[in-house]
Amino acid sequence: MDQILFKHNRPDRVISFDEYCAESGFRALRKALTGMSPEEVQQATIDSGMRGRGGAGFPTGKKWSFVPRDLPGPRYLICNCDEMEPGTYKDRVLLEKNPYLLIEGMALAGYALGVEHAFIFIRRGYELAAENLRRGIVEAERAGFLGRDILNSGFSLSLEVHQSAGRYICGEETALMNALEGRRANPRAKPPFPAVKGLWGQPTVVNNVETLANIPAIIDKGPAWWKSQAATPDAAGTKLFCISGHVSITDCFELPLGMTLGEIIDGPCGGMRNGSNFKACIPGGASTPYFTKEHWNVPMDFDPVAKAGSRLGTGGIVVFDHNTCMVAVTLNLVRFFARESCGWCTPCREGLPLVQHILERIEAGYGEPPDIDILHEHVRHLNHAFCALAPGAMGPVDGLLRHFKDELSEHISGKCCPFRRDTTHTC
Amino acid sequence: MVNLTIDDKQVTAPKTATIYEAAKLNGIAIPILCHDKKLKPFGACRMCLVEVEQMKGRQIPACTTPVTEGMIIRTSTPDIVKARKMVLELLLLNHPIDCPVCDKAGDCDLQNLTYEYKVDANRFTDEKFHHEIDYNNPLIERDMNRCVLCGKCARICDEIVSFGALTFISRGIETKIGCEFDEALNCEFCGSCVSVCPVGSLLARPFKFKARFWSLTKNKSVCGYCGTGCNLTLGVKDNKVLTTLYDENQGFHNGQLCVRGRFGYQFINSDKRLTKPLVRKNGKLEEAGWDEALELVAARLKDAGASTAALATARLTNEELVVFKQLLQTAGCGNYDHSAGYAHAALTEGFAGSFGASASPSTILDIQKSDLLLVIKTDAYETHPVVGFEINMAVKNKGTLLKILTDKSGKLSKLPDARTLVHTPGSEIAIINSLAKVILDNKLVDASAAALPGYAALEKELAAFTPEAVSAQCGLTAVEIKLLASAYATAEKALILFPVGQAYPGHTAALANAVANLALLAGKLGKEGGGVLCLSEKNNSQGAVDMGFQAGIGAGRIIDGCADGSITTLFLAGENPLVSYPDHARVQAALDKVEFLVVSEMFLTETAAMADVVLPVCSFAEKEGTFTATDRRVQHIKPAIRKVGQSRSDFEIFGALIAKLGGVAPGTPASVFAEISATVPGYTGMSYASLGVEGQFAPVELKPAFVMPNAPAVTVEPGKLALVTGSALYHNGTLSQYGEGPMHVCPEGYVEISRADAAASRFAENDLLTVSSAGGSMKLKAHISARMPQGVVFAPYHFGANPVNQVWSGAPVTWITLAK
Ligand SMILES: Cc1cc2nc3c(=O)[nH]c(=O)nc-3n(C[C@H](O)[C@H](O)[C@H](O)COP(=O)(O)O)c2cc1C
Ligand code: SF4
Ligand code: SF4
Ligand code: SF4
Ligand code: SF4
Ligand code: FES
Repeated sequence: MDQILFKHNRPDRVISFDEYCAESGFRALRKALTGMSPEEVQQATIDSGMRGRGGAGFPTGKKWSFVPRDLPGPRYLICNCDEMEPGTYKDRVLLEKNPYLLIEGMALAGYALGVEHAFIFIRRGYELAAENLRRGIVEAERAGFLGRDILNSGFSLSLEVHQSAGRYICGEETALMNALEGRRANPRAKPPFPAVKGLWGQPTVVNNVETLANIPAIIDKGPAWWKSQAATPDAAGTKLFCISGHVSITDCFELPLGMTLGEIIDGPCGGMRNGSNFKACIPGGASTPYFTKEHWNVPMDFDPVAKAGSRLGTGGIVVFDHNTCMVAVTLNLVRFFARESCGWCTPCREGLPLVQHILERIEAGYGEPPDIDILHEHVRHLNHAFCALAPGAMGPVDGLLRHFKDELSEHISGKCCPFRRDTTHTC
Repeated sequence: MVNLTIDDKQVTAPKTATIYEAAKLNGIAIPILCHDKKLKPFGACRMCLVEVEQMKGRQIPACTTPVTEGMIIRTSTPDIVKARKMVLELLLLNHPIDCPVCDKAGDCDLQNLTYEYKVDANRFTDEKFHHEIDYNNPLIERDMNRCVLCGKCARICDEIVSFGALTFISRGIETKIGCEFDEALNCEFCGSCVSVCPVGSLLARPFKFKARFWSLTKNKSVCGYCGTGCNLTLGVKDNKVLTTLYDENQGFHNGQLCVRGRFGYQFINSDKRLTKPLVRKNGKLEEAGWDEALELVAARLKDAGASTAALATARLTNEELVVFKQLLQTAGCGNYDHSAGYAHAALTEGFAGSFGASASPSTILDIQKSDLLLVIKTDAYETHPVVGFEINMAVKNKGTLLKILTDKSGKLSKLPDARTLVHTPGSEIAIINSLAKVILDNKLVDASAAALPGYAALEKELAAFTPEAVSAQCGLTAVEIKLLASAYATAEKALILFPVGQAYPGHTAALANAVANLALLAGKLGKEGGGVLCLSEKNNSQGAVDMGFQAGIGAGRIIDGCADGSITTLFLAGENPLVSYPDHARVQAALDKVEFLVVSEMFLTETAAMADVVLPVCSFAEKEGTFTATDRRVQHIKPAIRKVGQSRSDFEIFGALIAKLGGVAPGTPASVFAEISATVPGYTGMSYASLGVEGQFAPVELKPAFVMPNAPAVTVEPGKLALVTGSALYHNGTLSQYGEGPMHVCPEGYVEISRADAAASRFAENDLLTVSSAGGSMKLKAHISARMPQGVVFAPYHFGANPVNQVWSGAPVTWITLAK
């Protein structure tokens, strides 16, 4: 397998524009603008089997095809670089090393979609990535890869970096559009979907950084080649996995999609940290239900992970060893989600703090058996929320209830967290 | 239409309906908390969840989900009921549940739903909220502890009122509704947010602890302030109107009111109300019996005969005006007028000449159907806020273009893409003529126009009004005039709106003619969403015009007649000329001079205090009859309370006097209305029954013609400021001085100055300034604002304590100086 996204990376710094160009950078853009129609670019993306890397795994080419071509007024493309989900940091690593793949990818997507204005919505804290992007855009403009009449094709694209005041909810695509418009970052009702009525009421496509950064390779080397970089015949392409937790090497790796969880942990991660055993992991960012030892051989690809009861999500894997209290982990995550709730809808705004309090109680040894039922109820009820934050927030709780019921019960019956050694609480 | 199945029932619904609307249309109730039919879909509370079979039984909100063909919907499975209960439990978790002291109890959606879903115990516990309650303004209490975050308040303030005072702040469980920087509420106090709040978070302070909701009798009525003719629900207990209640199904405005209608009702039960007749004895007004007072008046009318004159407020009912006319005719009096006819000269003279009818060809309902609105001279929002809501919605939801031609910008100018052309005061007629000229020159004239009478003459007379010539004196460029003319002419449906009223000088017959010429030339009449709508000031201004309460020399010369002795007896019905007519000194002298002054009034106004006999009358809430709104919507009012004290309706008073003069007293208001519907053009065939609750439009038959208006030359007095007078948002006429709400927010007059003028003279906000004109001088507080152009100042008229007519003598523009 070849690296696609990290191929150009310098170990200690960001790649320069000239280096990128020398390593066949912007070749795909040239190829598309001189020899392919926008429809062909979209078709190649469909053929590649690319599924969105932002969390939901929606087929990218299909999403593009929903954009109506006959509506009056502009269409927009937005790159989602809000990346605030705990455990996920792949977009940052990519952009700190190489902003040009994204810039070229957005030019290609813009061409396919007939977009003239595109935005990169980037989290406030990502100073270096934003700086790289701003510089890269200027360089690309100077070289004629952005701006008016790119490569004399008649296609024009302006690319703008918007460093947001950013919160987790800004990553939700409709909240993101509100934020970009200068409104409060509340999600919008769907339908209408952004592809039809998005930014300023116009057709809009929102894609993740990693999704867009892959388009140059799909166009340059062809969809079949790109797809074949995966580890299994069903998977397509490579994936950035960003690993944290109790493994020997925590880093962001570009790996073929479809490697098993065990292969990833024992391979690039160098196994578990000294003296610790694998207990569980978050397989794809904080909103995905836990995997346990029983999932060791699940191929890390969208469908197999879903079949195993979780989601591939963003590819942010957080590994926990045998000394980790899963109630505490869940509480930590729920606290994050409760804080980040936008406050719009009842189940999430009121429900998440309640779940948080219940977990706090259980963790502190004051839990009651009916608490478990209440947690179950909320896993269901938060599915009725306005946006995907709430169901995502219950991912870990769902995992806790499914895989660590005994551990939960132990907390309640023992009136104490079994993992707490430094406890002041007498139990 | 699409076919769907709701709870096993086969039903149909329009393609554009949501599941909630489809269910409602078919008599199936789905509980809602954050949904409001007037507002954009929101979908936040999750009370309206339903199951749709095609969506794998997922629970989705009915209020935001559009129907699709073949949908199979269930609205109350056990799972749904459970989810709704959960929503309620969650909402009640931090809610104070202080229903015993909450004014919303009994009318509270949260309370009612909790009851309906039998949420009798909460399985969860958590801390209650501890938000500080905002008591900083006298009208609206904001208690965010009770808030369910339905967002309706913020949405209505943004989407319809277009003020934007409220928004969500913070996030997660700390989310709350707040004002800018979480400060106290300071807005235009229309009360729309209070109306739509489903719980007790936003409450009307004047009503606090006055009555429990269920002890109120809810009586339907029509607002007694402006010509919009909004429908009201009065909350009555112990013969007192204690509040106005919100009924979202009432009127074209869906129950929404402005600050006057919402918070200005207190005049009805004000303790300043006159309850007994007063008769002047030894120079002092003393309480007297009705017999004595009426006897005196009748005797005087008999004696004075033709030297009697009368002025009536356009707040009387149609029936009262007809009977008043009958009384005056019986007494041999040939000079009477309403609210100073000149305030309505646009209608009475202007439209009569141009349209062959003293009425507007268009209605308020045209606003949202229009492609282009042209608002002339005075901000229609400030004078008619609920009409303003319609304009807001047209512009924001329908993309209607908004053009404003004015001597000062106003709230409407802030709407998205509104184009405001600020011209030199007094040049409006010339500009409108110039617009007509451009339409002629650019061959944008409608095919129908050339055949109308006066076309050739108009063409000739407009020759002088080239944009270039007019631009020299009006403060606009020729290009601006041309662009406006072509935008207006090329819009498929274009509607001109202009407010008229007392102390809005310059809104004259000539202005009406100019406007009418423009609309006729461009062929805008006779189309839905197009035409001309003059917005009349009082609740029955149009009625007074329709009833023909105008004969003889006119209001201005009646006042002169009093002064020169040709009029010996003056009967004022609800009119307060000392405050509302131009030239205070002149009116004062006239009233001093007139031998006998009778005033029928609710209050001892400045004018009534000068009377020989004061007859206490009742308010609109105590009587029966009809009012005609500005767009000729005729509406029926019934008594909401018994008459206050010994007050009588003007109807009864005029009837009694007719009888004393030997005439035949009229029967009941109903019988007089029957007479009206038999005789007044457009009212034919109307009856109380046909008016119903929504009222009925009296159609206007047009006989259009071109009438060349006289464009007064624009004068400029160097070194002076141009004072334009008019109406303040919070007030209407002089009546609103007795509404506590309006007076809390805007208790006194002021002079509004541009920042540049204030800076040049070093005036600061609230400085007491001496305003001097050729007619006199007075003191007013300075109010510095961004909207005034340099060299122009504005002062509202309403205030009896310090009326602006001390410096204003009726001219469209009064030249003044200001000094500290
Ligand atoms: C609460 C929430 C936060 C999200 N945050 C991000 C994010 O930071 N970055 C991202 O790409 N997608 C995020 N998403 C997913 C986006 O809504 C959207 O699906 C994605 O950007 C689409 O890109 P893709 O099709 O390329 O995956 C988030 C979704 C939710 C519900
Ligand atoms: S689920 Fe949470 S984040 Fe999403 S709209 Fe509701 S309150 Fe906001
Ligand atoms: S009273 Fe009117 S202007 Fe004030 S906040 Fe409420 S809706 Fe907005
Ligand atoms: S104050 Fe009332 S209207 Fe506003 S969000 Fe809260 S409950 Fe809704
Ligand atoms: S004053 Fe006019 S706009 Fe306000 S509520 Fe009354 S009728 Fe409506
Ligand atoms: S009424 Fe539908 S979500 Fe509130």
